[in-house]
Amino acid sequence: MLDIVGLTKGYEGGAGHPLFTGVSLHLERGECIAIMGESGVGKSTLLNCIAGLEPVDEGSIRLAGAELTTLDDNAFARLRRQHYGFVFQAFHILPHLTVVQNVALPLWLLDRPGREAENLARAMLDRVGLLARADDWPRHLSGGELQRIAIARALVHRPTLVLADEPTGNLDPERAIGVLDLLLECIRDAGAVGIIVTHSRAAAARADRILRLSAHGLDTEVSRP
Amino acid sequence: MSAALRHVFLASLRRRRLATALSLFAIALGVALGLAVQLIHGAALDEFGRGMRLLAGEADLQVFGPRAGFDDAVYAEIAAQAEVADASPVLEIDARLPGRDISLRIFGIDMFRAAHVHPALMPQVDTAARETGPLAALAADALFLSPAARTALGIAPGEMLAVQSGTHALPLRIAGTVPAAGLGQELGVMDIAAAQLLFGRIGRISRIDLRLKSGIDRDAARRSLAALLPAGVEVLTPETAEAQTSALSQAYRVNLTMLAIIALLTGGFLVFSTQLLAVARRRQELAFLRALGLDRAALIRGLLAEGAVVGLTGGLLGIVLAYGLAGLAFNYVGGDLGAGYFRGLRPALRFDLRPSVAYVLLGVLAGVAGAWLPAREAARMNPARALRAGDEAEVFQSRPRAYLTPACLALATLLCFLPPLGGVPIFGYAAVAFLLAGAVLALPTLVQLSMGFLDGTRDVLWMLARARLAAAPGQAVVAAAGVVASVALAVAMAIMVSSFRHSVDGWLESILPADLYLSASPAATSGFLAPEMQEQVASLPGIAAIRPVRFDTLRLDTERFPVTLIARPVDGGAALPLVGATVTADSPDAAPSAWISEAMADLFAVKVGDVLQLPISGRRVAFHVAGIWRDYARQHGAVVIELADYRALTGDFNANDLAIWLADGAEPDTVAQAIRNALGDDTIKIASPGDIRAISLAIFDRTFLVTYLMEAVAILIGLFGVSTSFAGLATARRKEFGMLRHLGLTRGEIGRLLTVEGALTAAVGTAVGMVAGGAIALVLVEVINRQSFHWSMDIRLPLAGLVIFAGALVLLAALAARLSGHQAMRQSAVLAVREDW
Amino acid sequence: MRERPFWASVLFMLGLASAPAVTSAGPDYPPVREGGQIVFPTDTGAHPDYRTEWWYVTGWVSDEQGVERGFQVTFFRVRTGIGDDNPSRFAPRQLILAHAAVADPAEGRLLHAERSERALHPLAGAATGRTRAWTADWSIEWDGARYHSDVEAESFAFDLHFDPAGRRPVLNGENGFSRKAPDPKHASYYYSRPQLAVSGTLRLRGNTHQVKGRAWLDHEWSSETMPPGARGWDWMGINLHDGGSLMAFRMRDDQGGAMWSAGTLQSGSGAPAALRPEQVSFVPGRRWRSPRTGAEYPVEWEIRVDDRRLRLQPLMDDQELDSRRSTGAVYWEGAVRLLEGGREIGRGYLEMTGYAERLQM
Repeated sequence: MLDIVGLTKGYEGGAGHPLFTGVSLHLERGECIAIMGESGVGKSTLLNCIAGLEPVDEGSIRLAGAELTTLDDNAFARLRRQHYGFVFQAFHILPHLTVVQNVALPLWLLDRPGREAENLARAMLDRVGLLARADDWPRHLSGGELQRIAIARALVHRPTLVLADEPTGNLDPERAIGVLDLLLECIRDAGAVGIIVTHSRAAAARADRILRLSAHGLDTEVSRP
Repeated sequence: MSAALRHVFLASLRRRRLATALSLFAIALGVALGLAVQLIHGAALDEFGRGMRLLAGEADLQVFGPRAGFDDAVYAEIAAQAEVADASPVLEIDARLPGRDISLRIFGIDMFRAAHVHPALMPQVDTAARETGPLAALAADALFLSPAARTALGIAPGEMLAVQSGTHALPLRIAGTVPAAGLGQELGVMDIAAAQLLFGRIGRISRIDLRLKSGIDRDAARRSLAALLPAGVEVLTPETAEAQTSALSQAYRVNLTMLAIIALLTGGFLVFSTQLLAVARRRQELAFLRALGLDRAALIRGLLAEGAVVGLTGGLLGIVLAYGLAGLAFNYVGGDLGAGYFRGLRPALRFDLRPSVAYVLLGVLAGVAGAWLPAREAARMNPARALRAGDEAEVFQSRPRAYLTPACLALATLLCFLPPLGGVPIFGYAAVAFLLAGAVLALPTLVQLSMGFLDGTRDVLWMLARARLAAAPGQAVVAAAGVVASVALAVAMAIMVSSFRHSVDGWLESILPADLYLSASPAATSGFLAPEMQEQVASLPGIAAIRPVRFDTLRLDTERFPVTLIARPVDGGAALPLVGATVTADSPDAAPSAWISEAMADLFAVKVGDVLQLPISGRRVAFHVAGIWRDYARQHGAVVIELADYRALTGDFNANDLAIWLADGAEPDTVAQAIRNALGDDTIKIASPGDIRAISLAIFDRTFLVTYLMEAVAILIGLFGVSTSFAGLATARRKEFGMLRHLGLTRGEIGRLLTVEGALTAAVGTAVGMVAGGAIALVLVEVINRQSFHWSMDIRLPLAGLVIFAGALVLLAALAARLSGHQAMRQSAVLAVREDW
Repeated sequence: MRERPFWASVLFMLGLASAPAVTSAGPDYPPVREGGQIVFPTDTGAHPDYRTEWWYVTGWVSDEQGVERGFQVTFFRVRTGIGDDNPSRFAPRQLILAHAAVADPAEGRLLHAERSERALHPLAGAATGRTRAWTADWSIEWDGARYHSDVEAESFAFDLHFDPAGRRPVLNGENGFSRKAPDPKHASYYYSRPQLAVSGTLRLRGNTHQVKGRAWLDHEWSSETMPPGARGWDWMGINLHDGGSLMAFRMRDDQGGAMWSAGTLQSGSGAPAALRPEQVSFVPGRRWRSPRTGAEYPVEWEIRVDDRRLRLQPLMDDQELDSRRSTGAVYWEGAVRLLEGGREIGRGYLEMTGYAERLQM
């Protein structure tokens, strides 16, 4: 589904020694992996490269057989709209949209009819257990709830790939696991591919595989039994 | 605190350079315009007052009559009164200078008397001229010029200057100077007897200046002297005389100052919007400082200091600009800003400390006032909550105060019914302020309501923009309030000026029915057409009929400026632009009819049907007010009577102007040439109604030039408001845009989102501004103009212009929003979403 | 206080201050001719056709305490030649200039004041038929028996009657034709009224005194007095204690020499006798320099009338009148005593012109 081969990324603007080289990765439909690594090793950069938000120096990224590294900015944006879902550490729920509107946002971007978008969004909210808060304003919600909305938003349009950067970083530990489990469940349900960057070993442990990113590439650290 | 002030608060101004610069510039503009108007008028008025005082000299009292003067036997009688220490007669002539475009004020004085009362008018015989014999100053052809007049005319002692009397050009010899006349006074002095003879005013004087014996009570003397004077001749204190004259331009000055104040307010508003945004963006920073122990008061002080610094810097910059503007205005437009109030003056620009300091303080005030609400907002925040992400939207949670709008409107309506204070329509301006306040207060609610209309939209960008504006109308208020204010004022001015211009145009058409106009004395100068000249013109081939017009002024009381008397054939009022009801005399032997201008009706509280006593030829003559006509030329009031009545009362058969009707088939140019051949080229002016109309409208447009300039500035400041608020918002919304980029919006789409938001904001602001502007225009036309200048006008909406203006403004605002957001769009979406705390 | 130099501008402007004596083409001023008859009282009035005319009263008065002071009041009439064809009431055909002074030794210098006006009824004028000249609140008038003069100024005022007690006027020169130069065209009509009994009030710096004394009135009119080359004149008019009068003058050239001198002497109650040039001479004595103008005046004189040696002594040295601001002249005009053989034989006034600059008339 997702094939990354020999991805190399230097420090921005800097020749000299690269941030990471030779990152290769193959993910199947429904597979969720966790990426760990030292601070500053470039985990988030790797996600950004996959999302087309940062250019790569070398290597290839193919999603469902299509090469992505040659896409221009706008084409990648349209691709993201359709095939990507994002979960951020800081939630990034728009405060001026209601909960359901926030979730429907990716569907709006895909020009889905308003009624259909709303129904899908509500269904997704139901899936993350927040249907009751659908018409509330985000400012009345807790961090855990906000991240569940973010999960709903990341998956409402049935993306091929879900990228999550420290999705539990702003949550307390008890809530973190619940939210992470929900995220993984939803990714698997949707048959999407999930990449989760995290510091938390406990969180990483919920993924199918844990990969460690270093300057020389991705190494499998621990396989799930 | 001072280190914190410097590093935390003031340094923040440096970080948002663009917004700071724009606020600063707006305040500078407001200060500059206001102060420039003040300086220009101050200098002109000073010079004007100096001129009046110079002429009044050391007079305790002044006796004034109509412009045509009064019997000089009054002088002998007044001068002989026991209370009077010195009396100085003056014959003031506004002398046309043939072949030149300017006229010269010539004072015929009795030098022996003037020496005691107004030494500044004393002439000095030029050494060269003295060779022509003793008593040179009394010579019939000796004219003395003030230094300013000499410069303006470019003429040296010993040379000759032609002045016009009737339709004759008479040469005068420049015998010397009037050294003590102020630098800015363009005037000439000659012997009173020579002036009477030269200008055909034997037996007439215009003024007597009196010094009273010591120990004489001025008011008592004024009363006892007044009893000796014929009708229409009044004795005034010099202060009253000066005040009457300067009151003439007061309304105009107040109006311009108000515009400047509005510019300043808009500047203050800009400070408000940038500060509010800065506070929003620095919410975490400020929360952190509060958490560290900065107390609320210190926080408020720091934020106010930011506003004050912007205000102070803008104010200082504005002062510099103001002096530059004033200097330019003096060079190119004149001390009255083209309004024609101060002819014959050469005011000089000089540093005027008091208004300069006052305007800097106003600038600081605008800055501090603008910073006040955001500072309070910042102080009110809960540091713990603010430290968390996503809280900045709090700032834009509007607390709708739309319920205040009806109150504002009601108050504004009420204020419109109050009379002016001291001739200044204070309450009218207050009504304008309340209308503006009402409009701005209604804005959040109106934004929310109008976003409801966009509910059906399918375009995601429109949906996002709509949601954003509907949920955070505070943002719209910040960005649109400036638009509302500037659009309202610009629209109001545009409607007012358009109505005014349209009405003036129609008025010109109705007062200029003839084919040609011949003027011997533009602006009532020394020219006139003697009866034989009138007959000569009437008998020229190609002329079907002539109608002479005679002008004079009448002093109706000691309180007010004299009104203009116009004697011309009126056809029972048919030839006048009458407004409202008219009456006709019941019987042929009733009092003759008079038609008064609106200004006169207002100022003297006269209405149709009243009996009006007009002092003509030193007698009070009862007239019957037959109608009220519209007059845009004389805001001090004017009264028209039938020429035949005037001639019967005065025996004065001269005319100032002739309206000429051509015979069928006669060529205007040929006839005009024939008249010139008959009367001489230099001493008369012939114009077609079209020429007069074009010149009048050109003067009209020049008068409103400053107004247009100020409007443009107000609009510019309004657009600054959109631009700065969107720049600020875009920065504050970096994370939102970053997320949207992740979600798949292209850079272009983010830009379009900003454009749509800007356009929506500006559209609502413009719409509200237009409505408010219409209401304000009504107040301007019906209250402020009516009370300031006493003339009515027909409301005329410049619809096409307004639509284009509104469209352009929305477009510009959208563009401004997009350009301001450019920075945000360029910024890495990656960095934005990762900016966590 | 109105001590501002407005007169400077008036006179400067009038061109009197430095206008050359040569007149431009003006009106036809009637010449003064030998043999003209002076008729009283008609000729006590003004002669508006002539170029200049003055009524000139000088005298000594003493108050209740016996303090002696001099006083002087003059009304000039000037025909300008301007505005003869102007029907305006302001037409400046005739000007009335007046000045008045009081010599009070306690002041040390003259108190003086001036007025000038164009003749304009009823504010200022000079009447024909009998003496009456006035400007605003200053006047001199002959009522048929006495003269009355009223002067109001800032630092002084007087209201005086001058009674000739029936004495006839003294005609100077040849029956009133008074030559001023060898050329007879420089001449005036000139009579004097010596030995006028003065009574009335004199106000000085707020104190009003009842005064009595003796005065002298000159009335003179002419069209051309100053001959070319003349710099000024010296004149005196003395009421002699014997009841007579002595008038003498000389026209001076640039070198201080006499171009012409003449006089009239009336001893006691005798008939007046005209003094020919060779009978009168002025010998300057002690000089005094004015601290204001720098002009130097002989304030003491020896006057020779035939073989009599008379001495003139001033009431005080500083009796200079800086009248550049009115008639344009700086001159010395003061109360003097006339002594003969060390004995005072009369009192009167001495006038010395042209010491500061050439006198212009």
